[in-house]
Amino acid sequence: MIELKHVFKRYPLGTEALSDVGFSMARGEMAFLTGPSGAGKSTILKLICLLERPTRGQVVVNGHDLARLSPRRLPHFRREIGVVFQDNRLLNERTIYDNVALPLLVAGMTGDEVRKRVLAALDKVGLRGRERGFPLALSGGEQQRVGIARAIVHRPALLIADEPTGNLDPALSDTIIDLFREFNDHGVTVLIATHDLRQIERSRARVIHIGEGHMVGAA
Amino acid sequence: MKAYLTRHMQVFMRTLGDFARSPTATLMTVVMIGVTLVLPAGLYIGLLNLERLTLGWHPRGSVSVYLAKTMPQAAAVAAIRQVPGVAGTRYISPAQGLNEFAASSGLGAAAAVFRHHNPLPGVVVVTPAGVTPASVAHLAARLKALPGITHVQSNLVWVERLDAALALGHRIVVILATALGLALVLIMGNTTRVAVASRRDEIGVVGLVGGTNAFIRRPFLYAGALTGGLGALCALVLLEAAVLALNGPIASLDRAYGAHYHLSGPDLHQALGLLALGALLGWLGARIAVGQALRSRRI
Repeated sequence: MIELKHVFKRYPLGTEALSDVGFSMARGEMAFLTGPSGAGKSTILKLICLLERPTRGQVVVNGHDLARLSPRRLPHFRREIGVVFQDNRLLNERTIYDNVALPLLVAGMTGDEVRKRVLAALDKVGLRGRERGFPLALSGGEQQRVGIARAIVHRPALLIADEPTGNLDPALSDTIIDLFREFNDHGVTVLIATHDLRQIERSRARVIHIGEGHMVGAA
Repeated sequence: MKAYLTRHMQVFMRTLGDFARSPTATLMTVVMIGVTLVLPAGLYIGLLNLERLTLGWHPRGSVSVYLAKTMPQAAAVAAIRQVPGVAGTRYISPAQGLNEFAASSGLGAAAAVFRHHNPLPGVVVVTPAGVTPASVAHLAARLKALPGITHVQSNLVWVERLDAALALGHRIVVILATALGLALVLIMGNTTRVAVASRRDEIGVVGLVGGTNAFIRRPFLYAGALTGGLGALCALVLLEAAVLALNGPIASLDRAYGAHYHLSGPDLHQALGLLALGALLGWLGARIAVGQALRSRRI
């Protein structure tokens, strides 16, 4: 499902974010990508979503060699993955319903199917009945759950999360990680970047360690 | 197809909603575009009115054939009708000629002196089949060769001068319309650039969840076309208001000269054309601005 081979990433100002990083994840697997701040966790996720391109090396996601993916195919590739951000990236002037429906609308879906799927996704994250509200009226944990609903509403094969519990208290963090585990139980491949050791210890999932742009180990 | 139309309808409705949420900014842009369009549109309509007015004064390309006093009217008209290139004839008797002169010159009392010794000849006004300067000149030469004709006068020179003046007017309209059309594209481009900048986060999220460039562009293109169309509507309203305002003084002038003329605003086709042009230029401005913004995205 995900394969990184000898990946290097150097940003334009010369910062070397990744140096010879490689790992793979099978379909249906769940893993934590961990390491200290600045280790390169977010860079790896950006490479997987094709928000960045590697300076060297190969990234294959869901059968696509991302170096060979044309700009025309990029939107279709992104529809195969769901992404959750630490800062949610919700559209505050749009309703919760509109935020969650966005991946379906960009895929060209209309009508009852959109409504059914949005309400099902909100039900899954415990926010059914709040769809007419706006994100700013929600707590941090609720906003994160809206972000998760948006990431899973189009039923992606791969779910990626960048520090999804970074701003949440331990109880809410448990709820969020349990949600990811539930999706994984339904066959979704899940990769979570975090430095929340409590969640890693609590989980039975695989852990991929990154330290200052290098692979430290995978358990 | 139904899904496609539904998506477009959703974007259209959302664009109207965006307009309603910022009415002052929308109104200002629409009025700015309206004022930009009203100048070339007004000049164009003015030229059309001028053409209509001058066409009433002198039938375009007509030839006046003056008959000898001894020439019988029926024989003259019959001979003229036989000449190739004559599309129609209208006979003006000496008495009718005198009456028209008395009415148009305001010298009715003086003209009455000639009632019993009318010096005017009978005139046959010929409508040529062709209206090119060459064909009218050729016809005038043929008519002059007929017996019993004292003089042939075509209004060709006058028509040529008028045509040249109107062509100059049309060229000025085209230059002005091009310059102000460009201004409209720039206004809309700048408005769209600001809108794109204010919605940068949204564009980023849409791209991240798999939105194509076409999907991202669509609301901006609708906003551009709608703003341009509404600007053109504003220009039409301004034009009609100007026509209404000018028709009062023109009616007073008409009464003084005993004429019957009124200014006409744009007809349905012209109005629809202006609306379409406004929408097209608005769309174009938005397309250029949003295209540039999308190209500057890194991936």
